[in-house]
Amino acid sequence: MSPPGSITGFRTSARVGLADAHARAAVAEATDRLRDGRLAAWATVPEVEAVRDRAEEVRQRAVDGLPENLGRFMGAAEAAGATVSFCSTGVEASRLITALCSAADARLVAKSKSMLSEEIRLNEALEAAGMRCVETDLGEYLNQLAGDPPAHILCPSLGKTAEDSAVLLSRAGGKTVPTDLPSLTRAARLQLREVFTTADVGITGVNFGVAESGSLCLVTNEGNGRLVSSLPRLHIALMGMERLVLTLDDLAVMLALLASSGTGQRLSSYTTLITGPRRPGEADGPDELHIVVVDNGRSSLLGSPYQAMLHCIRCGSCLNVCPVYRNAGAAAYGEVYSGPMGAVLVPLLEGLANVPDLPHASSLCRSCVDACPVKIPIPDLLLELRRDLVDRQVAPLWERAAFALWSLAWSSSVTYRVTARLARVLQPLLAPVVARLPAATQRRLPRLALRTFRETWRARP
Amino acid sequence: MTPTTVQLFATCLGDLLYPDVVTATVRLLEEAGYSVEFPEGQVCCGQPAFNAGHHRAAGRVARTFARAFSRTAPIVTPSGSCAAFVQRRLPDLLDCEPFPIVELSQFLTAESVGIKPCNEGRTFAFHPSCHLTRELGVLAEVPEELLRRSGARVVPVARPDLCCGFGGVFAVRQPELSVAMADQKLTLPEPVDALVTADPGCLAHLDTRAHAHGVRVAHLATALTGGL
Repeated sequence: MSPPGSITGFRTSARVGLADAHARAAVAEATDRLRDGRLAAWATVPEVEAVRDRAEEVRQRAVDGLPENLGRFMGAAEAAGATVSFCSTGVEASRLITALCSAADARLVAKSKSMLSEEIRLNEALEAAGMRCVETDLGEYLNQLAGDPPAHILCPSLGKTAEDSAVLLSRAGGKTVPTDLPSLTRAARLQLREVFTTADVGITGVNFGVAESGSLCLVTNEGNGRLVSSLPRLHIALMGMERLVLTLDDLAVMLALLASSGTGQRLSSYTTLITGPRRPGEADGPDELHIVVVDNGRSSLLGSPYQAMLHCIRCGSCLNVCPVYRNAGAAAYGEVYSGPMGAVLVPLLEGLANVPDLPHASSLCRSCVDACPVKIPIPDLLLELRRDLVDRQVAPLWERAAFALWSLAWSSSVTYRVTARLARVLQPLLAPVVARLPAATQRRLPRLALRTFRETWRARP
Repeated sequence: MTPTTVQLFATCLGDLLYPDVVTATVRLLEEAGYSVEFPEGQVCCGQPAFNAGHHRAAGRVARTFARAFSRTAPIVTPSGSCAAFVQRRLPDLLDCEPFPIVELSQFLTAESVGIKPCNEGRTFAFHPSCHLTRELGVLAEVPEELLRRSGARVVPVARPDLCCGFGGVFAVRQPELSVAMADQKLTLPEPVDALVTADPGCLAHLDTRAHAHGVRVAHLATALTGGL
């Protein structure tokens, strides 16, 4: 699939999403449920606005001094017995992880949910090196079996029916699985247990790294993160360089908001804190913990107008209120990040010129601002990206010329009145042409009034 | 006592597409005893270009606003979106002092203006536009209460928080999505005499699809002057 905006464009890819009535209904149903859950959960948080302000400050503190804070985190994690590597690019990170897995003679790699691993296309790299990498988050597992990209950052297999899941699980397990939920769950559990117990390496994402202790915090609902990080000999934790909090107290602020914003839970089912690998005398845990910290374009946002995007904690709340995501679907934004956060993040990570349509994948309705637990001004960042499109001349010449001409014509009320009169005279002639524009499809376009208001005003006695 | 003067900002959409809405706005203000001034140099606030990323073009047009209006009398406009733009963006764009702009429903409510009972027996739904509520911070209850005071019953739209799909350049760049969003907004839980909005942008956009739903879309000023 080509990235949106490059060859096909957001409009074309959104049309595909719009045409899929089943997927749209599934998105609407799931996101409404998640949104209602968030609103109900936030209503139980005392002074939720103040908590959101504190969460924003926590992220701001971590990101403001990121190089230094990251240094502290890496030092503390190594002191706790972990090995830490910093990778500037996604390719570098994929290569390193592949090399680590090869060195561990890994044939089977179990992975818990990590958007960053999708961003750096880790599965492809591991498979190219002859290893089998299995997603163990149920939704991601189904997607992997189907070969689908995530439909939602939290609910990746949203839209798959029980029948879809039964077909996928039957094929994977080699025997027919009935479509009732207990049977489906049992089949998935059996298939994944096998993976947990036999995997040589476990790969997880990281929700937060704690700078003061070098701890990793994983937030999951299925317990797969805990199994993946404790059963295999080697645990590789893949972490975006911005996913830091300074202290455990700061972590507490974020945990109070992460689950409630994403799913409406007060806490997720499993909140795991990992500090170093298994120590002598401990029963559980891997022999080795390797933390791979990835930049992949993030550090270029430091000190830029887009720095606030690094505050994002991937809770998915903005997707659940976005009318554009609701109708266009995740695939319209590309293969990894979608919704309002994706419309900002993807151009910043992949380069504006590669996805010039994404900053325009928004009606600037500001719903996402109200929904964001850390108050990222997403519409303002989109406006800034649109400004960059123009200033860096990525926007086509005709568009820049049109706005320049329009602004010259409307730079005084005298010339404005001329254009108004001209448009009125030309309207009958131009109407058939305008009616054939893509923007006129299915629409009855408004017509200019016979007299402008100012003409009426002047005619007043 | 000399009547208080207010400056009227018609907005480009109001001037070109909906002069009746602006006339209704004048009527509401004059009947409440205000002396309405229409600064002739006004054109547009520049928002269409700004939201498309063309800041130089936006600045050129926005300067017409800064030249035309004074800061000594309140500026009233029948557009939540334009009011929000002038209030929140224009001072930075032009590096100038802010203007005392107020959206119509905000002004009528703050000034406790009497509303004529011209809509007895009518039922309206109100579309609280994104920029009116989330950018300007006017609660949907403000215009809804004005409609109630005009005698109408006000029923909710299905999901008041969802955008109608206008979004300026968005309506042009993403026509299919924009139409789908309008169709969702125009699917009302019960039949109404009109779907009312306080934004000419939403009005123009919803009107392009209203025919497919048999819904009449109207501006707040039109509804409050009994123009329905």
